[in-house]
Amino acid sequence: MPPDVSVRDLVKHYVVPERAGGLRASFRSVIRRKHRLVRAVDGISFEVDRGEVVGFLGPNGAGKTTALKVLSGLLHPTDGQVDVLGFTPWDRRAEYLSRITLIMGQRQQLFWDLPAADSFLVNKAVFGIDDAVYKRTVDLLTELLDLGDLLTKPVRQLSLGERMKVELAAGLLHTPRVLFLDEPTIGLDVTMQQRIREFVTAYNAETGATVLLTSHYMADVKALARRVIVIDQGQLLYDGALNGLVQRYAPHKTITVHLEREADLPDLNGQAEILSVEGLQVTVRAGKDDAPEVTGRLLTQLPIADLSVEDPPLEEVIEQVFRGEGP
Amino acid sequence: MTIRRAALAGALALTRAELADMFQYRVVLFLYSLWEVVHPIVYLAVWGAIAGEGEVGGLRLSDFAAYYLTFMLVSHVTAAIEIYTFGPMIQQGQLSPHLLRPMHPVWVAAARNISYKSVSMLLLIPVWIGLVIILRPSFTVTPGSVALFLVALVVAALLSFLVGTTFALLAFWTTRSFSFWEIWIGLTFLLGGQVAPVELLPGFVQNLATALPMRYTLGFPIEVLLNRLDAGELALGFAIQFAWLIAAALVVRAVWRAGIRQYSAVGA
Repeated sequence: MPPDVSVRDLVKHYVVPERAGGLRASFRSVIRRKHRLVRAVDGISFEVDRGEVVGFLGPNGAGKTTALKVLSGLLHPTDGQVDVLGFTPWDRRAEYLSRITLIMGQRQQLFWDLPAADSFLVNKAVFGIDDAVYKRTVDLLTELLDLGDLLTKPVRQLSLGERMKVELAAGLLHTPRVLFLDEPTIGLDVTMQQRIREFVTAYNAETGATVLLTSHYMADVKALARRVIVIDQGQLLYDGALNGLVQRYAPHKTITVHLEREADLPDLNGQAEILSVEGLQVTVRAGKDDAPEVTGRLLTQLPIADLSVEDPPLEEVIEQVFRGEGP
Repeated sequence: MTIRRAALAGALALTRAELADMFQYRVVLFLYSLWEVVHPIVYLAVWGAIAGEGEVGGLRLSDFAAYYLTFMLVSHVTAAIEIYTFGPMIQQGQLSPHLLRPMHPVWVAAARNISYKSVSMLLLIPVWIGLVIILRPSFTVTPGSVALFLVALVVAALLSFLVGTTFALLAFWTTRSFSFWEIWIGLTFLLGGQVAPVELLPGFVQNLATALPMRYTLGFPIEVLLNRLDAGELALGFAIQFAWLIAAALVVRAVWRAGIRQYSAVGA
C-alpha cells in the first residue's frame, strides 16, 4: 500500500517586505522596498502511512504550519514534490478536498451569529454528504466530543473550548481520510486539551484516519503520536519514534541510588554531578556516554540497595533540540 | 451525488445560511436601504427644480420621478457589495477555510450578495410604494418593456457582481483596493445614468457612456423599462451589455487565478 502522504525535498520560501519602524523608514520604503527571503521550509522529506498519527514538533516559526498548509493545498511550494492520497494538494481538486481536512486552532469557518447546526448543513451540502451518513457522523462526533446541545446555540455564545470542539466537528463531517491539525488545543484549558486528545485518539482508532498534527504542548504529542517529526528553521532534525528522540538527544542520564547504609561517595572523576543527597538516597547526573562507567563505579564502590537510570523528561530534551544543541 | 452538483447544492445551502445570518442585522440593513432611497431623491429634487413645470431634453418632472424611482430598485438589485464583503475576507486571511471546500469561494460572495439584497429589499419595498403614491411618476411601461427590463436587470446584476468581485480581488495584492473602487464609483456616478439619465448627457459623453460598462450596470435597465430606447438602440444596448458580461467573466477568472497564485505564494 502506498503511503497516504509522501513529501520529497519540499521547499517553501517567502519574500516578505521589511522595514524598520518610524516615519523615516516609512518614507524610505515608498521609494525603495527592502525584501527578505524567509526559508519557511527548506528541503524536508518524509512519508506517512495510512492510519499513522504523526506529531510535528518545532519552535515557533520552524515551518510546521507552512508545511501543513502546503500539504492541505493552501500554499504552492517553491520546490519539491508532495503526494497526498495520490493527489497534488495545491491543485485543490474537489475529490482531494473531500478526503482531507485542515483544522487550525484560530481559524473560524462557522457562521458567528447562527447555531453551528446551520454551518453543518452548509458543509453537508458542499461535501455532498447524504442524509444517513450525515446523521451517523453527527451522532458519532456528538458522542466523541460530548457536544450535547452546543450545536443549537449561536456560535458567538460558545466558550473558546466549546467553539473549538464544534470547529473540529465541522471539519470532520465529511469523514476525511487525512487530518491536518494545526495547534488543535491552543488556548484551551487543561481539561479541554485532554478531551481533544482523547477525541483524536478515538477518531483515529474508529476511522483509521491518518493524522498529522502540530502542537507546542508536549502533552499533546506525548499522548497522541508514537512518531514525531522535528523541524527547525525549515529543516528536518529528527523523524522517528518519540522515545528514540530522547535516546538520541538526551544529553545526560539521571542515576539514583539507594544505599544500604551510610558510605562515602567515591571519586567520580568529574564525570558526574551530584544533584542531591537525602539520607540514603543519592542522585547524580552523568553525561550519556559516561553513564555506564559512572553506574559501574557506583555499583562496585558503594553498598547499593537499589539503582535506577533514567532519561531526562521529554520537555527538556525537546527544548535542547530547539536550542540547537545536538547529541 | 457528483461533486459538481454538490457545489451547487452547497451554494444554495450557503445562501440559506447567509439569509438567516442577514436577518440578524435588520436595523443596519434598514439604514443602508434608507440611504439607497434617499440619494436618488436628491437627484430627482435637482432635476425637478430644473424642469419646473416644463421639460428638460423632453423629460418632465413625472418622467424624472419615474426614472429615479426605478433607479432606486435597479441600483439596489445591481449594487456591488463585494468590496465590503469579499475583499476584507481576502485581506484578513479568512479565505483559507473556503479554499479547502470543494466549492469555488466566489460562491461565498454571491451568497452574501443575494441574501443581503433579498432581506433589504423587503425593507425597501414599503418605502418605495409610499414614494410612488406621493410622487406620481408617469411609468411609461409596456408588457414587452417589462420582459426586456427583467433580462437587462439580471445581466446588469451579474455584470455588477463580476466587476465588484474583480475590485475585491485586488485585495490579493494591495490593502488599498478601495481607492480603485472609488474610481469605478465616480465613473458610474457620471456615466452610469446616476447624476443624469444618459440621454441627457452631452454628445460625446453620451457616446462614451454607451461604450463603457457603467451604464450597463445601472442606467440601461431603467431606460429599457421606461421605453426610452428605439429598436436599434435596444439591440445595440443588449449587445454591448452581453459583451461586457462575457469580458467581465473572463477578467474575474484571470484575476482570480493570478490572485490565488499570489496568495499561495506569499502565505495564506
